[in-house]
Formats: sequence, structure tokens, C-alpha cells
Amino acid sequence: MHRLIALFVTLAIPFLGPQAAAQQQPPVMQGLFLLTDYPAQTVRAGETATVRVKLQNSGLAPEAMALALSGVPAGWKIDILGGGQPVASAMPGQNESVSLQLRVEVPKDDKPGSHQVALSAKGARLQSVELPLTLTVGTEAPAKLSLKSRLPSLRGTPRSSFEYTVTVGNDSGKDLTVALSAQGPANFQTTFTEGFGSNEISSIPIEAGQTKDIKVKVTPPRDVKADDYPVLVKVAAEGATADLRVTLQISGQGRLALSTKDGRLSGEAEIGKASAYTLVLVNDGTAAVAEIEMSGTVPANWKVEFNPKTIPTLAPNEKKEVQVLVTPADKAIAGDYVASFRATARGESSAADFRITVTTSTLWGLVGVGIIAVALLVLLGAVARFGRR
Amino acid sequence: MSRKPPPSGGMRREGSPFTGLGPVFMKEFADHLSSARMMVLMLFVIAFGALPVGLSLQELRTITESDPFLFLRIFTSSPQRVPFSFTASLSLVIPLLAIGLGFDAVNSEFNRRTLSRVLSQPIYRDALLLGKFLGGLATLAVALVALWLIVLGAGLLLLGLPPRGVEVARGVGFLVVAIAYGGVWLAVAMLFSVIFRSTATSALCSLGVWLFFAILWPLVVPVMVLAVTPADVAMGMGRLDETLAMIEAQSMLERLSPNTLFGEAVVGLLNPETRTLGPIIPSQMRGAIMGAPLPFDQSLVLIWPQVTGLIAGMIVVFAAAYVVFQREEVRA
Repeated sequence: MHRLIALFVTLAIPFLGPQAAAQQQPPVMQGLFLLTDYPAQTVRAGETATVRVKLQNSGLAPEAMALALSGVPAGWKIDILGGGQPVASAMPGQNESVSLQLRVEVPKDDKPGSHQVALSAKGARLQSVELPLTLTVGTEAPAKLSLKSRLPSLRGTPRSSFEYTVTVGNDSGKDLTVALSAQGPANFQTTFTEGFGSNEISSIPIEAGQTKDIKVKVTPPRDVKADDYPVLVKVAAEGATADLRVTLQISGQGRLALSTKDGRLSGEAEIGKASAYTLVLVNDGTAAVAEIEMSGTVPANWKVEFNPKTIPTLAPNEKKEVQVLVTPADKAIAGDYVASFRATARGESSAADFRITVTTSTLWGLVGVGIIAVALLVLLGAVARFGRR
Repeated sequence: MSRKPPPSGGMRREGSPFTGLGPVFMKEFADHLSSARMMVLMLFVIAFGALPVGLSLQELRTITESDPFLFLRIFTSSPQRVPFSFTASLSLVIPLLAIGLGFDAVNSEFNRRTLSRVLSQPIYRDALLLGKFLGGLATLAVALVALWLIVLGAGLLLLGLPPRGVEVARGVGFLVVAIAYGGVWLAVAMLFSVIFRSTATSALCSLGVWLFFAILWPLVVPVMVLAVTPADVAMGMGRLDETLAMIEAQSMLERLSPNTLFGEAVVGLLNPETRTLGPIIPSQMRGAIMGAPLPFDQSLVLIWPQVTGLIAGMIVVFAAAYVVFQREEVRA
């Protein structure tokens, strides 16, 4: 079946081919043309403008065409460039074109007004074509910038980073180096990065008429209160500025900190006996923390208890004391151990490593003293028994 | 005043048994300090102590990492050139010093026929024996304190930093343990000097006991313990508690030797990182901060049984010597 279709297609193509080709052929128009996109242009005094011109040969035999300019105003300098070099003639092949540029240097003190300039191309066989151009010396058009953001308002916690993608447009007729800056509330940090790059930038070059995406990353201070914070992003180049207000909607977030009253994170514990330490749990975040559960990691066979074990809610800047009872194992060896206590709530936790010095009971020391006392008693007994007069 | 054999439960003596203790102690102390034997022993001790200390000081001077117990390392570090630390050297030399001071304490008086002359003075036998023992112990203490001060001074001079308070405390503890250790061997030597009339026999017996505990006992104990434990436990295949019991039994037997007691006490005192002198199960070390030094009082609690054992042993051996001496006929 597949083979049958393939056979049909190969048979059909020769019949379809000429017909399709005939439809695509544009109406033939023979001749030589000098073309430009904008025959009337504005140039600025004291600057150099470039006019792009194309010499098109449609259906004629190739021929060297001498290029000439006429009507160049006094003091102006117009060069014909081809491939970056000054050229005097061009030779487009049949049905081909040659790109040319006119570099127009306008003197500084030229007055506003229109000038007619004609570019002509003349062939040896008396073919000639002319392109009249109107160059108007205009007043200096100011640089113009635009600034847009698709998502000017972001929401997050004090710990999230706010990334705005803004599009900077250079709406003026020349290339600009755009300086970037941002004004935010105190202690808000702003950095600019280019598109997907990671380097921080402070300015970015943008070609005339082009736009570039830059990222503005705003990092709020950790202890910022829940609120809306505006940040003014500014771009500036050669006197032109544009600004855009982006907004950070910061919602509150609780943050737990576990420590002790005096900050001392060490204590002593006797083997087999419960030792109590007072931990202080503080919420130094900006929102209440709910359902806090206390837990601890202690060496093997140790016991750890918390009082209270759970805390229903802790408002911002509220302190709560938690008693922790640690009982070293009966067979623990004297020395320093690490116990780690944790307060865990949804999405929020804090831990404190506690250094516990385990001490052994001095009971056996007393037994030792008793042994020495017994030895002395033996000696005294011997003295009493064997003492001589 | 005629002297009779002790009437069993008969006449009680009058006055303190310690009458005359002072003169005997002072005389014995003075005799020891001025004797040529003491000079030789002292030279011996200093030579044995100075070599490891000098070498370990040379090594400690090149150490750049900070060590909170640098001063204690003078005592415990064994130099690379001589694999013998100061404390190991002392555990051999102190018994020799003590035996040298005590092996002829009583029988030399006997052989010189001065014993009955002394006892004809208003001096009890109790006071004589105790005075001789305390005199020997004081001499030993003087020698050891001098040695300790020399080491400390050399450390100050060559390390150029003062010891911390806790290091000095641990050092003093070490000194006390060393004196108690010497006291045990002094009591042993005096026991033999009371038992045997011949000083050579007494010296030989003391040295024999010392050699037995220093060399033979550490070799004999494992053999004895292995002989009574089941094969699978001995091979290390037994249950944890059985293996632990075997190790415990072995260390208890080893602790009958004063050398072991001294060694363990010294380790506990001079290596503050020592947490225990017995076996450790890995589960006991979970969560432990390795290398953290034990507080001084906890180190003391740790080695207290060893110190107690040394002191009690010294008293018991002395009591034995006393009983033998009291029952002896002193008139030659």
C-alpha cells in the first residue's frame, strides 16, 4: 500500500512541477534600479548618518556602473561605501544587487533645512539610473528610553528574593549606553543582571531602536515588616531617563530562635540523674508561628523531655521558656557530649547544640576513703593487738 | 626495764605508741639524705628522668599547633628517638628508689646490733618502724619533688610559657600519686627487711617482687583470664556482655599490681582527654565530643579507685610489716 502511494507521487510530480513553477514566477521587470528604504531622512548637525542604498540589476547583463553624487551641500562630506571601503563603481550581476552606504558627515554649524542630493549610477552602454535623496538637517532629537515590566508587582516573604524582568528600550536613533539604578526603602538591596547572565551590571549598551531584557533583583532586609514596598527602577542615558515603579508585597513570616537566657549553651549533668536546663524560644520574625514542637537529639540511651512539649502559638517578638530535662544513660562515661534541641513549626525551625558535661557520682570516692579508713583501722588494730610496753 | 615477748592480751602499754617518733624520723631522714646510697639513687633517677624529658622537650618545641595541656605533654609524650615517656620511666625507677631506701631499714640495724640499743631508749617499736617508714617516704618525696621541680623548670625555660593552674593541679596530683606508689614499694621493701635477717635476701626478694609485677604479671594475667573463659568469647565471637566481663576480669587482675594502678592514675591525671580506664562500647561514645578534656574533678573521680588502692595497699603492707616486727625477737 505504501509502495503504491509512493509510485503515484513519483508519477504525479512531473505533471505538477511546471505548473507550480509558473505560478511562482513574478512578472518580469527588466532594468536597473537604485533603491533605498527611506529616500527622505533626517540627519543631525555635527553627526554622521548612514544611508543604505541598494543597486539592483533585474534581467540585464552585468556591467560596471560608475557611481556619482550630485547636489552635495557645501561643507558636507558624503562618501559612497561598499563593503566598508570607499567605492567609485558597482557591478551587480544579473538579477542581483549590490549594497552601498552613503556616509553623510554633516558639519556642526549647519542650519536646519532640507537638501536634495542625488546618487547616480552610469553604465558604459548609456544606461543610467538616479536616486534622489532628501536629507533634512533637523534639530537634535533627544535620546529616548522606555522601560516596561510585565510583572511589576511581586509577593513574597522577607526571605524570598524578588526578581523583576524589565525591558529597556532605546527609542532614539543612536546607540546608547544605559546606566541602571534603583531607589528602594532603606536597607533594600537591588542588583541588576542581564537576561539570563549572572554578572551584576550597572550599565548596558543598547543599539538604536533595540530593547534588552534585564533582571532587577530586590532583596529586602530579613526583619522587614509585612507591607507593600515600592522600588523605583531608573534607567538613564545622555540626559534621557525612564523610570518604572515595581512593588514588593512582603507578607510576614515567623522565625524561631532557640537559645538560653544568658546565651550559654553548655551545662552539666550527673549520670543517671535528670538535669534541667531552661531554653528560651523567641519568635523574632514578623508573623506568628503556630504549632511549635520541641524535640531533641541526645546520645544513645539518654532521656530527654521537654516541658512544654508543644507550643500552640508564638506571636512575633514573644519569648517562651521551655524546660528541658536531660538524663544521661546509666552507663554513660564522664566527659563532654553534644545534645541538640530543636523547635519545629510548619516551614520554620531552629536548633541549638548544647554541650553537656557528664559528671560521675562522687559516691565511689567516698567508698575509696572508706577503704583507706579500713586499712588504717587494720593498722590501729595491729598496734592495739601487738603493741608492746 | 626488761623487754619480754608480747603477752597475748596481757599488759597494756602506757603512753602513746608514737613516743620517740620524731627523733627516729629526723635521724632516718638525715641519714638517708646524707648517705652515698641516696646520692647514687638520686643520680640514677635524674638520669632516667632527664633523658625522656629532654628529648620530649626538644620535640614539643617544634610543635606549632596549640595544645591547652602542653605542659602535661612533657610528662606523657614519648620521644621518637627513645620510645619511653617520663612517666613510664618513673614507673620503673620509683620502685628501685623505694626498694633502695627500704630493703635494709630494719635488718641492717639488727646486723649492726644497734636495734636493741635504740629500743632501750624510750622509743617503742611502733615508733621505730613508723619513723623509719616515714623517713624513707619523706626522702622519696624530697627526691620526687626535686625531680618534678626540675622538669617544671626545664619546661618553663625551654617552652617559654607558664603552666596553667589546672596543669599545675594535675601535676601536683601526679606527684602525690607517685609518692604513694613509692610508698607501696617502700612498705614492701621494709616488710622484707623485717622478715629476713640478711640484707641481701631482703633486697633480692624486693627486687623479685618488683620484677614480677613489672614484667611477669602483665604477661601472666591474659593467659590466666583466657584459660578460664570459653573459647568463643576468647576468640571475640561471644556476646557483648561476656566479652566485657572478660575484659573487666582481666583489668581487675591487672590492677592487683601497683604498676598498673600507678599507670592508670597517671594516664587519668596527665591525659585530660581520658574519659574512662575501662572498655568502651561504641554506643557510649555516640554524641561524645572527642578530645574534649575532662574537668579536673572528674579526672580525680576517675582515678580515685587507683589512688585509694595505692594508699590502702601501702597501709596494709606496712601493717603486715608492723605485725611481723612486733612478733620478732630483737635481742640478737
